Amino acid sequence: MGRPLIHRSPMPGLGLSMGITLTMLSLVVLLPIGALLLKGANYGLAGIWDTVNRERVWAALELSFRLSLFAALFNLVFGVLLAWVLVRYRFPGRRLLDAAVDLPFALPTAVAGISLTALYAPNGAFGALAAEIGWKIAYTQWGIFIALVFVGLPFVTRTVQPVIEEIEREVEEASATLGASRLYTLRHVILPMLTPAALTGFALALARAVGEYGSVIFIAGNIPLVTEIAPLLIIIQLEEFDYDAAAAIGIAMLLISFAMLLVINLIQVWSRRRIGYV
Amino acid sequence: MHIEIDEISKAFGSTAALQPVSLAIPSGALVALLGPSGSGKTTLLRILGGLEFPTSGRVLFDGQDATGLTVQERRAGFVFQSYALFRHMTVFDNIAYGLNARPRASRPTRAEIARRVTKLLELIQLPDIGARYPSQLSGGQRQRVALARALAIEPRMLLLDEPFGALDAKVRKELRQGLRDIHDTTGLTTVFVTHDQEEAMELADLVVVMSMGKIEQIGKPQDIRARPASPFVREFISA
Amino acid sequence: MSDATRTEARPRFRPATQESPAARLTLIAVACVGLTILVFAPLVAVFIEALADGVGASLQSLASPDARDAIRLTLTIAAISVPLNAIFGVAAAWFITKFDFRGKAFLITLIDLPFSVSPVVAGLCIVLMFGTNSLIGGWLVANGFPVVFALPGIILATMFVTFPFVARELIPVMIEQGRAEEEVALTLGASGWRVFWTVTLPNIRWALLYGVLLCNARAMGEFGAVAVVSGKIRGETATIPTTIEMLYQEYLAVAAFSLAAVLTLLALVTLLLKTLLELRHADQLAATHRH
Repeated sequence: MGRPLIHRSPMPGLGLSMGITLTMLSLVVLLPIGALLLKGANYGLAGIWDTVNRERVWAALELSFRLSLFAALFNLVFGVLLAWVLVRYRFPGRRLLDAAVDLPFALPTAVAGISLTALYAPNGAFGALAAEIGWKIAYTQWGIFIALVFVGLPFVTRTVQPVIEEIEREVEEASATLGASRLYTLRHVILPMLTPAALTGFALALARAVGEYGSVIFIAGNIPLVTEIAPLLIIIQLEEFDYDAAAAIGIAMLLISFAMLLVINLIQVWSRRRIGYV
Repeated sequence: MHIEIDEISKAFGSTAALQPVSLAIPSGALVALLGPSGSGKTTLLRILGGLEFPTSGRVLFDGQDATGLTVQERRAGFVFQSYALFRHMTVFDNIAYGLNARPRASRPTRAEIARRVTKLLELIQLPDIGARYPSQLSGGQRQRVALARALAIEPRMLLLDEPFGALDAKVRKELRQGLRDIHDTTGLTTVFVTHDQEEAMELADLVVVMSMGKIEQIGKPQDIRARPASPFVREFISA
Repeated sequence: MSDATRTEARPRFRPATQESPAARLTLIAVACVGLTILVFAPLVAVFIEALADGVGASLQSLASPDARDAIRLTLTIAAISVPLNAIFGVAAAWFITKFDFRGKAFLITLIDLPFSVSPVVAGLCIVLMFGTNSLIGGWLVANGFPVVFALPGIILATMFVTFPFVARELIPVMIEQGRAEEEVALTLGASGWRVFWTVTLPNIRWALLYGVLLCNARAMGEFGAVAVVSGKIRGETATIPTTIEMLYQEYLAVAAFSLAAVLTLLALVTLLLKTLLELRHADQLAATHRH
């Protein structure tokens, strides 16, 4: 055998810390996820496929994924812009803006949900404005998009900010001495440096949006085939005590999250290998 | 190109980095700005390159006032102490950067860019590293790539900030000769900043000794050695 | 060249690392307008809606039995699940940073897992494991200890979604601090617990507080996972967020938004404390924050 499983160490508390860690991890996270996977195994791949392969489920999965993608793309652009402004510019109120970026992390999703609905409903402050030009936001896919933008807002900014802070001034100066305009420097030197972090933030925002429930259901309208998101479908199946169907959709979503987790890790490996940093 | 520095001063807030200094650099000379840290030598170099703006005074290139020229307009080949290579680009793309950044009208064709990059790689005696990334190079190789990148834009002058600062003693000696050779083949007016008096004396045609934002002495290496103008210069060059 | 050039107004010099003033102004304006619409507007809307019928009506709705039960239950949940997660976080960080073992990266991935699982799926997992028609759940119910639609299930769901908060804040900090200080204390004859209380804990206290703060905010506000496992039984298993949903769907907007305002105040206090911690103790917190 090569390396021992655990190296001997003079540090105390191996048994206790390992015991607490593994016990709680198993009890709270691994066993429940295992229960879902076990349910899926009993149900069988064919069973899962039959459940998922229905118009209403496909519509919900497609809706969740498509709108999450759009919201994450919006956050990718706006998040990089925001990170740049917060790191590079000094202006009154900057600290307030910086703190505000975290609000979607801190504000409970149900609160965000009813608040956004109040704003964008036809009689709400923004909803009334939009209604004047015949644009309906709440209870349409636009509403879901806005809720998903809200919950995903901090991810890109928070992953990109530290990278911007670490850019050496000399690299930008070098570009200028070589004759490049500021815009050319931003596009060809700075953006490529931010890309790995921005993609990580994008993937995190996407993963969060796909699974989001609380902030969406109030504003969505929840019309089957049109504005019904995948997590809501799970809850509907549970309320009808159709545990098999709920588990099947749950497994489909779990696989999507695992795939995205894998993508995030691959981005980081790729960037480390190619550029030598994340 | 002939460079004239006319009563240039620079203050950062209330601290004066440069007292008014004047200096004429003849066309094609290899000049060292020599001094301890905080002597204002890097500030002076950055003013020449257009990276800092002087508080007062003028810079003249071939008799023309260049003080208001932007960095981009100056066409100064600048080599940074950290080299500041673009880590996400290959060596080839690093060297081609300045040519690719030109507006379409004055941009050379792709084939022409490739030809020039190849020629520059030969000039720095690293013909085979075009496809590598900066993280895969040694310190000395990085310095030479930075030099080639600066030369690619066909600069009017070459400005180098502590070009050998980050290298170990052996590589430093080799690259000194490399810089001399490149200067002699290109004939570019070259200014480099150093705190190493041996390096300045050995490499430069003209040495400018600086201290506390002032020029202490300007002269040929042998003259400075023979007749130091002040106790500071005597002290500093004997260190 | 005449001497006049010396006295001429110099063009404004722009450092090579800056955008033009116009571009800067535009970007700042976009950031401000964007955050105002996306973040500040919903924040303000909560309070406007809560106070739509005046402060009295709002306070009165908070004093209703439904609201009081919900607040009590949410406080209970946080009081149990946050300390448990803090203990887990400290133990996991100790295990991961003080010992070398195979599969460490995998363990960290497992700890981070709850962040990439939808809260609804998390709730579903707990229902499948402890629900009445599961093996364990059936046995527990038969022995008078129901988990799903009861307090233990809500606590488990809350712990699931907040599981990584403390650990992922502590691990980078403890890696950076290394083991030297603990080793010195050990050679001086200190016992394991003494080393922990007198050496390790003082070094990680701000990071621990930071993690607990975020963990608590999420624990009190969790909705999706709790909605699945709690059954939302009024006066029994309805937390503040699920009560907000019920009130909202009964068109009791003032009551719903008043409870929402309570949670919003909690979020604001959390952000304030978090910002203060970042200002005062930046060096003792994890260098970068990904949530």
